[in-house]
Amino acid sequence: MNSTFVGGGVAEILSRMVPLVQEMGVDARWIVIKGTQEFFQVTKKFHNALHGRQEDITKDELELFLEINRKNIEELNLDADVFFIHDPQPIVLVTQKKKLGRKWLWRCHIDVSRPDQRVWDFLLPFIVEYDAAVFSAPAFSRPLAIRQFLISPSIDPLSDKNRDLTPETIDSVLTMFGIPKDKPIITQVSRFDYLKDPVGVIQAFELVKRSVDCRLVLAGGTATDDPESGKVLAEVQERAYGNPDIHVLSIPPDSNIEINALQRASTVVLQKSLKEGFGLTVSEALWKAKPVVASAVGGIPLQVRDKLTGLLSHGIEGTAYAIRQLLTNPEYARWLGENGREHVRYNFLITRHIKDYMLTFLAVGRPEEIVYL
Amino acid sequence: MNTVANLPQGATSGIIIPLVVFVATLIATFWLRTIGYSYAARWAKSSGWSGEQTLRAATRVPSIFWCIIVSAYLALTVSTVPAAWKGPINLTLGSVLVVSIFMAAMNMVVRLIYQHGSRLGIPRRALGTAANIVRAVVIVFMVLTVVEIWGLPFAPVLLLVVVVLLVGILLLRDVLPDVLSGLQLTSTGNVKVGDHIRLESGEEGEVIEMQLRYTRIRGADQSVAIIPSSRMVRSTIINYGPPVTRAREPFRFETRLQVTELTGLGARNLKELAEILKKSPDSVVYYHTHNFLLEHHFLFHEPANDFAAWVVDVLGDAVLGERLAAVDIFEFPNLGQLRERLVEMMEECLSTQENGRQAPPDREFYFLKSVSMVLPTSYTARNLREFLEALRKISIGSLYFHVFEARLRLGKGLNDFSTWLKDSMGEEELARKIARIDPYTYSLEGLRSLLIQFVEQRIERSSQTTSQLSAGAG
Repeated sequence: MNSTFVGGGVAEILSRMVPLVQEMGVDARWIVIKGTQEFFQVTKKFHNALHGRQEDITKDELELFLEINRKNIEELNLDADVFFIHDPQPIVLVTQKKKLGRKWLWRCHIDVSRPDQRVWDFLLPFIVEYDAAVFSAPAFSRPLAIRQFLISPSIDPLSDKNRDLTPETIDSVLTMFGIPKDKPIITQVSRFDYLKDPVGVIQAFELVKRSVDCRLVLAGGTATDDPESGKVLAEVQERAYGNPDIHVLSIPPDSNIEINALQRASTVVLQKSLKEGFGLTVSEALWKAKPVVASAVGGIPLQVRDKLTGLLSHGIEGTAYAIRQLLTNPEYARWLGENGREHVRYNFLITRHIKDYMLTFLAVGRPEEIVYL
Repeated sequence: MNTVANLPQGATSGIIIPLVVFVATLIATFWLRTIGYSYAARWAKSSGWSGEQTLRAATRVPSIFWCIIVSAYLALTVSTVPAAWKGPINLTLGSVLVVSIFMAAMNMVVRLIYQHGSRLGIPRRALGTAANIVRAVVIVFMVLTVVEIWGLPFAPVLLLVVVVLLVGILLLRDVLPDVLSGLQLTSTGNVKVGDHIRLESGEEGEVIEMQLRYTRIRGADQSVAIIPSSRMVRSTIINYGPPVTRAREPFRFETRLQVTELTGLGARNLKELAEILKKSPDSVVYYHTHNFLLEHHFLFHEPANDFAAWVVDVLGDAVLGERLAAVDIFEFPNLGQLRERLVEMMEECLSTQENGRQAPPDREFYFLKSVSMVLPTSYTARNLREFLEALRKISIGSLYFHVFEARLRLGKGLNDFSTWLKDSMGEEELARKIARIDPYTYSLEGLRSLLIQFVEQRIERSSQTTSQLSAGAG
């Protein structure tokens, strides 16, 4: 259960996961709660506050949040063996646990390691009602009175963003964006956001350029719910102005094949975030066997084991150094890329994700450390 | 009173004489039959011929018909039955004679097939099929001969037989090659029920049934492959023969999946790491000293345990990191002692420094816990050959469970393979050899290869010993 059928990472994963689970013979149903515009404004504030941003949330807004959840409880026909609730929007549904029994799990996709205390305190009584909580990265959890499980997100290898592409398709995308293939290509795919440090990426690229001739592609979109993104894009364009080897591409959010092609055409893929949730763009690049240089933040260290499945960096100079290493040692870069692909194959594909969910459903209610099925 | 002498002349020549001839001939032929069987029995006894019983059984009933037919024929010859009747009656008698002779021949051949086929070890169902083919052929020839006796047109019957044959061949066009191959397979005796075989196409297992059309092979995962006989004949088969030793108890392979539980606890420096680790349950120690093995099993050089990796990558203490990475987990009989050793190393390091370097935000050490879900697989081994086959096919999770988890986490002190080899197979040397392997120095695939190599060597040695013993006995 979540709050939307379309848009956002949760809906994207569920839209691919639910049919697969049903194929396995599980009577899985995806239920979406109904909410008003005002309700979603409040939950957006919750989202930001849980990420650590200070938000001004009024008492009326908290009451609205509870009221909409209560209405949903009345309208929904809740009947299942396991209730799997995603994110804070439908969190109040757990109040039905006393009446219905069964297993209740809260799947938190947000980094709640340093939340706004007021919002956290408001949600905590609901959270501890659940049998267990599920987080995407170890850093996202915090001490709780209930069991907590670690389940990383995943990518679907058959989606447009990750499936194999023909060389012709890749070439046509490069041609469309006017990117020649004459030099090694370094790419970062991410929203134009200060936290993705696109200016830092350009600075690192300029350091690399001193010794190795290459191109930089910064591809991403601007989000309507992020007023800063346009400003960041303008700054990046200004910083890149006059350098023909830097390609700043503002592309629509559903340009999956284009992103796939840009990643596959790259010599090195970057993810120089200052702060990150899980960073599935890293898994996407690793799945394409690309050598990755990424910041050691959020869920990235789970995907990039330094010097084994990619290179971790902590600053602009370190990023430039890592890129140079990969550009001048193609064998090493290939070895890292192949390791990265295997790492994703075993740990970050949707099949592993489903397996983890199933096992967690079995583990809840069984306190043993070794469960014999 | 009426007597024979008083009967009219017509009655004597019409009934009495043929009746007397019939009875006399019947007595004479039955006497000859008895003499013949006695003579055959004596000759068989003196010459050691074993076919006498078969011959007697095959001709016992038909020979009664022969006696009656001869007697009836002679009686008919001396009777005053009109000539117009004699022809059809003679043809009928001839037909019955032909049928009885063919029946006797058919019985004879069928009995010989069963007798000799059983001695060759051909399955009973296969012999039944062969007997039915013989019966069909004999019946066809019998019908044709009777048709010939009655002077009926031969061609339509022959055509009918040909049509039936063609339809039969068409219907059985897929089956016939298998049946013929099956006859070839069983007559050579190269493969027998109980043998462990491997086909070039990869199927491997114990032969549990052989029929003319197919052979059934049971693999280590208990799946049964049904191989058509024509494929068996065409394929290169390695026959390892029946197993030398069978296990007292079969080895049932299990596998293990993991759920990772978060403790919510994190350490920002070495002191916190040591303090939290000291109080952590075994499942936490197990997770951080073993998870990397599974998570990165595809790497040739697997990374160090989580504590060592964090101390080097985040705290930048290469010396302590090296010491923690070098801890030989294989030396520890349980997780408690391993935890003590790790904490001891950290505390030694802390004695020369204050808390040590602080980890940057988001790079704390987060304590995680391993919850193992153990479930059965379909693989079972009842002998070394099946054990080897299963080793090749089981998942990495199953291998990991029986080698790593069984020894340290379940506290058995020995891996499951060694325990089974020693206790159920009596393979003490092989069990010791496997127990001596330090699994932490291999990748999981490397470990699998090594185990396969050890078991293969053992099977090879045992085959050589068996061959030498057979040669010595010969």
